[in-house]
Amino acid sequence: MTAKIAVAGVGCVCACGNSVRECFENSLTGKARFALPSHRVKSTYAANYPVFLVDDALVQSRPQDQELSVHYFLTAAKEALSQAAIPLEALRRLRVGVIVGTSVDASFHCFETYKNWKENNLSDKDAQTVANYLSRSTAQTISRYFGFTGPFQTVVTACASGTDAIGIGKNWIEHGICDAVLCGGTDEINLIPYDGFIRLLIASKERCRPFSKNRNGINIGEGAGALLLVSPEVQHHEHVSAVGYVLGYGNSCDAYHPTAPDPEGKGLQRAISFALKEAGVTAKDIAFVNAHGTASQANDAAESVAFNKVLPQVPVWGSKGVTGHTLGAAGAVEAVLTLQALRQQQLPPTIGFEESDENIGFSPSSSTKLSHAKIALSDSLAFGGCNAALVLGIEGEHV
Amino acid sequence: MYKMYLDGYATLTGVATAEDFAPYLEWRSLRRMEGMAKDALLCSCRALEQAGIDIKIPKDMGLSIAVGGGALESTCKFMDSILADGDELSSPTAFAGSVHNSTGLALSLSLHLQGPCVTIGQFDFSFPAALLTAGQFLQSGASTQALVVVADDVNPVLADCAPQYSAQFQHIVRQLSGPFVRHSAAFVLSAKPTQYTQFELKEISFSRTNQDGKETLPPAEKLARLLAAGTSFELHDLFAGATFCLKGDPYVKPK
Repeated sequence: MTAKIAVAGVGCVCACGNSVRECFENSLTGKARFALPSHRVKSTYAANYPVFLVDDALVQSRPQDQELSVHYFLTAAKEALSQAAIPLEALRRLRVGVIVGTSVDASFHCFETYKNWKENNLSDKDAQTVANYLSRSTAQTISRYFGFTGPFQTVVTACASGTDAIGIGKNWIEHGICDAVLCGGTDEINLIPYDGFIRLLIASKERCRPFSKNRNGINIGEGAGALLLVSPEVQHHEHVSAVGYVLGYGNSCDAYHPTAPDPEGKGLQRAISFALKEAGVTAKDIAFVNAHGTASQANDAAESVAFNKVLPQVPVWGSKGVTGHTLGAAGAVEAVLTLQALRQQQLPPTIGFEESDENIGFSPSSSTKLSHAKIALSDSLAFGGCNAALVLGIEGEHV
Repeated sequence: MYKMYLDGYATLTGVATAEDFAPYLEWRSLRRMEGMAKDALLCSCRALEQAGIDIKIPKDMGLSIAVGGGALESTCKFMDSILADGDELSSPTAFAGSVHNSTGLALSLSLHLQGPCVTIGQFDFSFPAALLTAGQFLQSGASTQALVVVADDVNPVLADCAPQYSAQFQHIVRQLSGPFVRHSAAFVLSAKPTQYTQFELKEISFSRTNQDGKETLPPAEKLARLLAAGTSFELHDLFAGATFCLKGDPYVKPK
């Protein structure tokens, strides 16, 4: 096993809450803001395809000069830093890196500006929009906001970005590049992915049903998850009471198809196996897996093949029935919820699941009280065939 | 500080053509690939060839990709399709191609790469971050070799805006006026020296700074020029609130 990297604090905002505690409590009951996005997205589809939205009050509290994705991440990061209880001044004296996974915030999704340019109607405001887009590398913006001076990295490996950000953060500390890393993922509702997923025929007009036989597609969502990781030295010197640990990280390429996962889940199996190996644990040590579980036919089928092979009998929890698919934020939101489930010794139900699918080979989680559960796994799959997995733990025998 | 070994590299300014690909891959197999991904693929083929690696054999090589604005060709095509035909007839193919990671897919499919893959998208400082990530692949044992790829496209709106609104762009864009051309590069790194090793890379550092620098050449291009000189080098880059330093020596095989 490699060195255990402590999670000093976590934060989360998404459709089911504005804090980790709220998000987790609502993931037990299914309470979430699932609505049509007409007020947020100018698309003819907005009358028919609902999404999982962050609370309007939080959206409206965004400073004018801040991108919404940055606002979400800062909200989650402040919660994480507050829980870590390390003075900001002390952090600023350390090598603190920032790694943020995102999709929309790093993309040229400035539709109105592009439209004005095509119509030869570009204004000063549009030019400023382009300048803002170029100057707002998500991770650098976050780093600058907190006054950190370590390395920064905006990960854009599509829907695996949040998981990758945490795994790379662990590696940066493990290999002496940083003393601490603020990492996670963030994304916001935007016309391009909203229309795009619908046009790919993988979006659902109903609330998603992960791993159900009658599953019929995804609902996109928005939000952010943030974790502050610290080295064993910082944990010791700053008297950090760890929320949990990042124990292993695996990543692999399917080399299969632009938008569909390898139906045999071979790439995901490699990512999970590497993460388990790095953590020094086996499938028997894993209390549950928080699945990518988008509720698309292809994703859930491929994931189930991989789980049945490398994580047999391990309970599977799909949380996108309360968060939606938050794209670049998904892996981070799910890592935070996974740690919270371990801390509260409570496995939430897979909200939205209705009917067992014999081709899946298991029924996902129902609400279960855990007993001495110390380690869990969270995985993500991304367009382009990237797979990523994290082994997370709380204090215990293997940790 | 860990060391990495450079076994091959290639750069391209401009657009990859069918003739360029003739020694490596069938041009028609690339017909649906974004232009930027083709450039990156050509550089990768050349760099892998130098490193003595067969592109046709599946391998667990890591892939660390640095992009700036990402897959702009497809992103613009997707927005064009919404403008021309409305949301309901917008192009799903263009959307799939617009994802930042589409270059990763193109490379992993064409070069049979099954190791870890991460794409970094932070404009001028994607390359240093991608180098760090490749170093992590090698250090963690996730792969013994890693391909670091730099790929970017010309943003048509920026190309129009930058000369006209230079005050807004001068701190964040290295080149304010045209002609704008695509650039790409690929570097093959190893955890241990191989028979193809050309350089030993050491002392890599990358951090945020409150200073604004005035470097005009992107760091990947700068590195390629230093490598071409064949001598020990120190690469320094200070630009847009970040600083990057990399040192390297020509690799001499132990006797």
